[in-house]
Amino acid sequence: MLLLTLSTYAMGKLGFSGIAVVFFLLLTAALKGTFIIRDFMELRDVSLLWRVIMYGWLWIICLAIAITYIISL
Amino acid sequence: MFTFIYSLKYSIVTTIQIEQEPKLLPGDFAIWMFIFMELLVFAIAFLSYAIVRVQNVEMFNEYQLTLNRELGAANTLILITSSYFVIRAVHAIKGNNIKGCIVWLYAALGGGSAFLILKSMEYYDKFSQGISLSTNTFYMFYLSLTMFHFLHVILGMIILLAVAIKAQRGAYSAQDHIGVETGASYWHMVDLVWIILFPLVYIIR
Repeated sequence: MLLLTLSTYAMGKLGFSGIAVVFFLLLTAALKGTFIIRDFMELRDVSLLWRVIMYGWLWIICLAIAITYIISL
Repeated sequence: MFTFIYSLKYSIVTTIQIEQEPKLLPGDFAIWMFIFMELLVFAIAFLSYAIVRVQNVEMFNEYQLTLNRELGAANTLILITSSYFVIRAVHAIKGNNIKGCIVWLYAALGGGSAFLILKSMEYYDKFSQGISLSTNTFYMFYLSLTMFHFLHVILGMIILLAVAIKAQRGAYSAQDHIGVETGASYWHMVDLVWIILFPLVYIIR
């Protein structure tokens, strides 16, 4: 997760932009969020309902943000 | 014989059902209702930022460059590390290591304090340049989103401090640690929100 954060920072520092970079950054954020939900919050073995709510929140947010960035191109 | 086989079968089926029973949410259920509400509010805020940006792409890209990415990245690393300390606190109390739990909770609070200090430095820099909520739409979102999260960090720290003080008074043990898990769950939510907020506001363009 620390490495993913540093890669996110590097992308910004180097001034990379474009849809591929947007997808990479959002995917990185979604992966880190997945680690937090699964391993930090320890929701790995809880009821499917709670996992759907948490993972759904994370991936829908990232997908919706990606769509707005595609529209703005 | 039939009764014995039936009871044996019932026992096996019950055991399998118990083993397959999903775990309960860690901590108090009420905190999860609060977490779900908080996540919904942040989701609306993130989507509002992304939708408004569509109509103001040039302005958002221009003023995003004025943000301090180094402090933003440092704060991300601090929050992730702090969340890890909280996991260690939960594992410590599950192992009946009360002293370890207290130490890890204060370490997490140290991380939270570092986050607040760096964020305050960032705000001081912006405010000293005369930047405010009314400067433009980008800064309105930047300040309101990050300050709203800032308040959640403070609330999370208050919860962790209360848990640490209760742990010092011997309120938690390996058998009774729901309070530690409750505080931990809220703190991880604060981390989760920042994981989206940082790239959205500081990096993605």
